[in-house]
Amino acid sequence: MNLRKLTSITLVTAMTAGLALTGCGGSDGKDSGSGSGSGDKDAVTIKWISQGTGEDGWEGLTKPILEAYEEETGVHIEAEFYSFNDLFEVIETKSAAGDSDFDVMSVDVTFISKYGSSGYLEPLDQYFSDEEKAKWDEASYQAGVWEDTMYAAPENTSTQELYYNKKLLDEAGITLPENDADNRLTYEQVAELAKEGLEKLDPDGSNGYIGFDFQQVSRVYQMNMLANSMGGKNISDDGYSLDGVVNTKPWIDAMTWYQKLVDDGIASKGYNAEQLSDQFAAGKVLFLIGGTWTPTSMTCDDEIGYTYAPCFEGHEDEVATSTGSWYFGINSKSANKDAAAEFIRYFTLGKGSDMWLEINGDVPSRVDKQDEIANNPDAPEDMKIAAYEAANTAVPRAVTPVFGEYSTALDQAWEDVRNGADVEETLNNAVEQFDAAVAAYK
Amino acid sequence: MGGIYIKNKWLPYLLIFPTIVMICIFKIYPIISSVIQGFSSVDSGFTMDNYKHLFADKTFWNSLKVTLKFNVIIIPIQIIVSFIMALFVNVKVRGIEVFRTIFYLPFCISLTISTVIWQMMLNVNNGVINSMLGVLGLKPVGFLIDSKWALLSIVLISSWRGCAYWMMFILAGLKGIDSAVYESAKIDGAGFFNTLFRITIPLLKNTWLFVLVANTTANFLLFAPMQIATDGGPQGSTNVLMYEAYKSAFKYSNRPRQACLVTILLVIVMAVCFIQNKFMTEKEA
Repeated sequence: MNLRKLTSITLVTAMTAGLALTGCGGSDGKDSGSGSGSGDKDAVTIKWISQGTGEDGWEGLTKPILEAYEEETGVHIEAEFYSFNDLFEVIETKSAAGDSDFDVMSVDVTFISKYGSSGYLEPLDQYFSDEEKAKWDEASYQAGVWEDTMYAAPENTSTQELYYNKKLLDEAGITLPENDADNRLTYEQVAELAKEGLEKLDPDGSNGYIGFDFQQVSRVYQMNMLANSMGGKNISDDGYSLDGVVNTKPWIDAMTWYQKLVDDGIASKGYNAEQLSDQFAAGKVLFLIGGTWTPTSMTCDDEIGYTYAPCFEGHEDEVATSTGSWYFGINSKSANKDAAAEFIRYFTLGKGSDMWLEINGDVPSRVDKQDEIANNPDAPEDMKIAAYEAANTAVPRAVTPVFGEYSTALDQAWEDVRNGADVEETLNNAVEQFDAAVAAYK
Repeated sequence: MGGIYIKNKWLPYLLIFPTIVMICIFKIYPIISSVIQGFSSVDSGFTMDNYKHLFADKTFWNSLKVTLKFNVIIIPIQIIVSFIMALFVNVKVRGIEVFRTIFYLPFCISLTISTVIWQMMLNVNNGVINSMLGVLGLKPVGFLIDSKWALLSIVLISSWRGCAYWMMFILAGLKGIDSAVYESAKIDGAGFFNTLFRITIPLLKNTWLFVLVANTTANFLLFAPMQIATDGGPQGSTNVLMYEAYKSAFKYSNRPRQACLVTILLVIVMAVCFIQNKFMTEKEA
C-alpha cells in the first residue's frame, strides 16, 4: 500500500516537473538566436528573417554574403528563411506580439507602409545619411518611405520585359517587327502575332500552347501595368480609396482588352503565376510579360528572346512597367539596432550589395550600378533594357498601409475578369470591397 | 487498489491539473481574448465599432452566406457517405481489413497535398477530369474557376479526405452493436432496410452525436482547400468566414476584425452544436 502510494506520488511529481521543464524549455530567448551572441560575450549575432528557402533560393544564394560579412566584421548573421507566403505570417505574428527575437526583416515593398504605420519597423533616417539615400534611384528610395519617414532600404528593384519563345516563333514563321524604346511593339500587335502563332502551331488547341500571357497573372504587381499603360492610377493620393481610380475608363479598357485576350484563347485560364512560369519554361508560351528573373529560371535560355515592354495603341507616351522588390527593415523591438543598420548598409550599399547583384542578377536600385549597366558595352542586353525601364517607365505599386486589402480586392478582380465576370461590375465590387475594408482605419 | 483513490481524494484533481492548465492556456484564454479584442478600440476601451464596420461590409455577409451554404451541403454528404463506407467495411468477409485501409488512406494524405492533387486533376486546361470529359465529347468545365462549380468542387475535395476520417468513428460505433441484436432481428424476419433504419441507425445515437458535432465544427473552421485551390474565388463563391478571418489576421493585420469574425463563427458553431445536441438528446429521451 505504501509502495503504491509512493509510486503514485512519484509519478505525479515527475509529470508536474516534466511539464514545468517543458514549459520553461523554450523560453530562453538567447537560445533562439537573437541579441548578444552565445559563448563569446563580445560577439554580436544578428537574426535576419527572410524568404526563399533552399539552396537555389535566397537561403543558398545569400550564404557567401553572410559569410563574407562575418569574416569582415565578426558579426554573425543568423538567417532564417521561410516560403514567400509564410514570411508575411511570421512577421505579422512576431511583430504584433512585440517579439524581439529577430533584428532584421526582409520586407516586400508593398508592406513597408503597413509595417511602418503599425510600428513594426524602426525608422531608418537616423542610420542613413542624405548622401547614402541619394545612392538609390528615387523610385526605389521613395518606395521605402511612408509619411516622410524612411522605414526600409532597397535590396534591388524589378522591372518587366516582353519575353518570347524564339523556337516557337521560328516554327510559326513569325518575325518580330523592329522595335526599340521609342518605337515599341503594341499590346495589340503582340496579341495578333500570338494569335497567328497559335493558328499555325496549335490550331485545335490540343498541344496546350499559350499565345500571350503574364507571368504574375492575377496579381496586381504585374497586371496593373495594363491599366497604368492606359493612364490609370493604382490608388487615390491618400492611399485609402479606389473610387474614381479603378472604376474609370483606363481600367475598364485595360480589363476589357485582357478579358478579350482570354476569351479569344490567346491568354490562359486556370493557371496560377507559378504554373504559368512552368509553362513558359516548358516551351508552351509564345509571348510572356515577365521580370528579369524569367530567363534565369528557364531551362532553355538560348531559345528565349526579349524586348521592351509593349504599349497600347494610342497610349504610346504612357508606357508603364511594374517595379519594386524586396527591402530590408529593422525590427522596432530589436536590441541590436545599430548592428542591424550596419548589416543593412552592407547589403544595400556596400560590398554585400555588389555580391548580391552579381549572384542574383536583379535590377539594381543603386544609381551607380544602373549607370554601370547602361554604359557597359558587354552588359547583357536584357539587363540594359531592364535598367532603362526601371529608370524611365517604372510605376510604383500602390503605396498604402492597407495593401493586403488592396491586393485581395484587385487580385480577385483580375482573376474574376479573366474567368469571364463583367468588367464594370467587377471593378465596382472591388471598389466597394476595398472602401468597406478601409473604413475601419479612417 | 481502491484505497489510493479513496484515501487520496486530491489525487484525481492533481492528475488532471496539467490538462486543465493546458486547456485554460491554449483554449479558454484565446477564446476570451478574442471576444474581448472584438469589443476593444485602439486605446483598449470598449467599442462596438469593429462589429459595426463588419456588419456594413458586403464581403462579410457574402462569406457568412458561403459558409452556411458550404456546411448545409457538406455535412449531410460527409455523414451519409461515411456511413455507407462504414457499412461496406463492416461486412465480415475475408480480407476486409485491406479495404478498410484503402478507404482510410485518403485521410493519411495531408489536406494541403490532397488539395493540390485535386487542383491539378480539376484543372480546366489539362486536368485528368476534363480530359475524360473531352473523351466523352464534353466541353471542359471550370471546376475551380467557375463560380457555379467552385464550391461543389471544394465539397468534393474536402469530402474525399474527410469521409475516410468520419467512417472510422462510425465503424467503431457499428462494431459496438451487439451481434445478438442483429441475429434476433434476422430470426424475426427483418430485412436489410428494416434492420438498418430500426436497429443500426438508432443504436448509433451516441456515435451520431459525436460525429455530427465534430464534423460540424471541423467544416465550419475549414479553409485550407479554399485558400489553396481557389483563394476564396471565383467572385467570392468559396470565401468562407474562417478564410476571411485568416486573411484579416495575417494579410490585413486587422486583429479586431479577425476577432469579430472568429467570435461570430464560435457563436454559430455553438448554436448549431447545441441544436444538434438537443435534437439528439430529445430523441434519446
